[in-house]
Amino acid sequence: MIDELTKEIEETRRSLVHELEGAQSPETLAALKERYLGRKKGRVSLLLARLRDCAAAERPRAGQAVNELKAFVEEALAAAQDRSAAAPGEWRDPSLPPSRLPAGGEHLIAAIQRRIEDIFLQLGYEIARGPEVELEDYNFTKLNIPAHHPARDEQDTFFLEGHDEMVLRTHTSPIQVRYMLEHKPPLKIISPGKAFRKDDPDATHSPCFHQVEALLVDRGVRFSHLKGTLEAFCRSFYGPDIVLRFRPGYFPFTEPSAEVDISCFLCFPPAGSRAHGQSASSPAGPEAAGSRAHGQSSSSPAGPAAAGAASGADPSCRVCKGSGWLEILGSGMVHPQVLRYCGIDPEEYSGFALGMGIERVAMVKYGVPDLRLLYENDLRLLGQFG
Amino acid sequence: MKINVEYLKRFVACGLEDGRLRELLAGLGLGTEEVLQVGGETVLDLETTPNRPDWLSHYGIAREIAAKDPRLRFVPMDLAAVDLGAPGSGFAIHIEDPADCLRYSGCIVRDLAVRESPPEVQKLLVSLGLRPINDIVDVSNLVMMTCGQPLHIFDLETLRGGQVRVRRARPGEALRLLDERDVKLDNGHLLIADGERPLALAGIMGGLDSGITPATRHVFIESACFDPVVIRLGARSLGLKTDASYRFERGMDAEATLPALRMALLLLARSQGRALKPSFFQDAYPRPQSRPVIRLEKDFPARLTGMAIPEAEAAAVLQRLGFRLRDDGAAWQVAPPSHRVDAECREDLVEEIARVLGYDRLGGEMPLTANPVLRVDEARPRLQRLKARLTAAGFQEVINYVFQSPEENRLAGPEERPLALKNPLGRDFSVMKNSLLSGLLRNTAANANQGFERVALFEIGNAFADEDGRVVERRRLALSAYGQEQRPDWRLAGREFDLAWLKTELAALARLLRLELAFRAAAHPLFRPGACFRVDCGQRPCGWCGEVAEAASGFHKLERPAFAAELDLEALLANGGEPRFQAWNRFPAARRDFTFLMARARTFQELEDAIGRLRPAALESYELTDVYQGTGVPAGQVSFSLSFTYRAAERTLTGEEVNEAHREFTGRLAAQLGLIQR
Repeated sequence: MIDELTKEIEETRRSLVHELEGAQSPETLAALKERYLGRKKGRVSLLLARLRDCAAAERPRAGQAVNELKAFVEEALAAAQDRSAAAPGEWRDPSLPPSRLPAGGEHLIAAIQRRIEDIFLQLGYEIARGPEVELEDYNFTKLNIPAHHPARDEQDTFFLEGHDEMVLRTHTSPIQVRYMLEHKPPLKIISPGKAFRKDDPDATHSPCFHQVEALLVDRGVRFSHLKGTLEAFCRSFYGPDIVLRFRPGYFPFTEPSAEVDISCFLCFPPAGSRAHGQSASSPAGPEAAGSRAHGQSSSSPAGPAAAGAASGADPSCRVCKGSGWLEILGSGMVHPQVLRYCGIDPEEYSGFALGMGIERVAMVKYGVPDLRLLYENDLRLLGQFG
Repeated sequence: MKINVEYLKRFVACGLEDGRLRELLAGLGLGTEEVLQVGGETVLDLETTPNRPDWLSHYGIAREIAAKDPRLRFVPMDLAAVDLGAPGSGFAIHIEDPADCLRYSGCIVRDLAVRESPPEVQKLLVSLGLRPINDIVDVSNLVMMTCGQPLHIFDLETLRGGQVRVRRARPGEALRLLDERDVKLDNGHLLIADGERPLALAGIMGGLDSGITPATRHVFIESACFDPVVIRLGARSLGLKTDASYRFERGMDAEATLPALRMALLLLARSQGRALKPSFFQDAYPRPQSRPVIRLEKDFPARLTGMAIPEAEAAAVLQRLGFRLRDDGAAWQVAPPSHRVDAECREDLVEEIARVLGYDRLGGEMPLTANPVLRVDEARPRLQRLKARLTAAGFQEVINYVFQSPEENRLAGPEERPLALKNPLGRDFSVMKNSLLSGLLRNTAANANQGFERVALFEIGNAFADEDGRVVERRRLALSAYGQEQRPDWRLAGREFDLAWLKTELAALARLLRLELAFRAAAHPLFRPGACFRVDCGQRPCGWCGEVAEAASGFHKLERPAFAAELDLEALLANGGEPRFQAWNRFPAARRDFTFLMARARTFQELEDAIGRLRPAALESYELTDVYQGTGVPAGQVSFSLSFTYRAAERTLTGEEVNEAHREFTGRLAAQLGLIQR
């Protein structure tokens, strides 16, 4: 009896393995399961039922053999079912990795510029453009920087062979000059673009850099409008809790002028500390404040001698180096002489202008440690942004 | 500007410790660049601005501090007892052109014994970064650091002809400067001369011959005010920048010459240990300077700033700064002090008021100004779609300088005269680029060397040209593709970039922008002959594409073929106009395939040209479905399959009609181009 049973167990096992080879659809597998494990007529159930016919002495051994068969059948069917769920019809493994399709991106500078433009467009500004090779008159004289003025020293200028009246623009402000000459107030524009200074490339200088400037001219425009606009911009761009600090500055084309710092977006201000205003002192770059155009980057977030770091700032902050403040832009009320040069009556109109360097933003906000990296166009850097 | 804090506090007795002092100065617009400790004393290196020459002295900074805090007073040295004496004879000062020299005050002091300065003076000078020389030279430096006025002291016995003349140099004149440099002079240089020869470069540097030596006994002390532009141009032309020229070119106070002279006498008397009285004194001031009076409406500071500024407070601030106010009802007539050469208009006064009161009073409000005409920028969203398409296709944007080497310009325009910079940073950056592609190829090589297998780049920027003496800049889009288009993996076959891929991408970009692009075989120095196409956009030439020529890829040491395009961006961004609805053809189309052999010597472009000439009215469109050159295709031939779609606008074409039109059309094509139908 036991021999016969053992033979049948072996046969059942073989036949299952054979049948499983061709069976992949869920339907076939369900049928197989019924045929082998079905409670009444399943082949394993029938074998179990036949244990009763065995001699008592043989029963434990026979019982063990049938139970082993049952476990084998259950396991084999389950594995087949898993495979079948995964690959109906043919072999497939959905867990295979996706192919890597190439993805390009915007240059970080272009991406920052676009974000800044987007904010000002939402505030109702229009984008104005102008040539990179500019009339010296528009780049300097009409901006109240007369020939032989020391302020020209600090904007080391590239000149062109055979075009004595032209320069590579040292800021994007001549775009504003062009716009003012061509339009009547109210004016509300931004002027993004490249600018050029004869600076040897180093960590904080580049002979080619990018600026975005804004200009608003209308009746009754006030210094406080400049601050409100900057607050709106900075909170949108850097974060809703940003606090601004205005420091007196000098630009030949604005009066009064202000250097603008923002509270460090990483470590400062602590919640509800909007009263910090003017309390901490000046970050200081290596050049005189007036030597920079609006937004030309300076050497560090805050000069080494910045007095009294803002209380609440993190002394180990990698963004503000513990000062709590970041020098980000230059601004002021458009100098009446500039308005006059551009055909606008300063008795009737006033305006503000502001400007920021995009490379500076890349360093401050995105942590790019060296300005030269932005012009090396190394995919290892560019691939991280844009 | 270096400020010794101890010395500063002699002129304004503020009890501020250093940190608070720096905060106060920062609030006034004077940032601290560096804090130094020299010999136990604190020295602040302050960041000054070109508009404030008055800040270039301890007096200037002391005045600012005193203005900020009403409880403080600026106390200058007491010079009342110093007697300059009356104008004497036997010596004379001549100013040849009062436009060059606004004022020249000078005196002669006799019987001095040159010695070391008192230790405290030496220590002070060292702390300010100056080297003590002897008491006479040190006095001139100390006066400049104290009140800002540069002095020059001559050894009287070297002066010939009993006079000093302020005049322009004559061509060919030369001078050996204090630093032992010989300089050749011309009419652009302003000199201090005696009756015979140049003595000093006015306002810049003294001459070696007339300088103070240990043997000097009698001196002539100069305290003058020169024209800023003359000094600036003179110093620049000689590559000189001195403490004196730095101050004069920013504009000095013409009223400061006499007090400075008195201060020099006082300090010199101290070191000499006896009272000094000049044996000669003259103050040449041909055209006394007067500062314009500025009218300031009393409500203007508040109007311009939006800050709450009570009138009395505004007036008090200006007065503390040394401005004199005359009440004129609704306005003040404001006379700036002579040292405030920067104060010219009412806005300058507002900045003074706001700055001293503190910018932290400034609140923010949004302007209500709206743009009068809403000019919707159509080009910007098109540019963004263009960039989105390119980045999705795997192109990375790059940004390069606008200048490059002349060799790089020659790659794109071998015959062009480049637009060159007069003062470039170096040869590699000496011409304005005439094409963006060299930059892309340079970036490509750099990235390929880093191990990137796939380098597809684009740049948007200007290319420059000199057209009939006019500088022209055009915004371009440049693309390049190098290496592996697709890396092979378990499901995709690997592919290298080729020209067809680039053309496909350009065509897809054009479709996205609703533009018609056409590629016409052409020649361009940047591209390999036979693999170069002019790209036409809406029938107009708008750029080039092709396989990069050997010259350019070799220049950048590229080992594999590179494919590139450069297009006029404005043409791509120009909107072709609003589309109008067009009813589509409701009649069924009929397709007929045409497979044939064409001689290898012919190009597909020739075939397309022929189709354009011969196309029957019912031919709606066609596409190339297969190109084959394997088994069964005779040598010298290529097999093409085209699929033609026929459709009439107003009715259903019968099968017979389509067959007839197709047969005749393909027959004529075959006859014209020598095609062998298969």
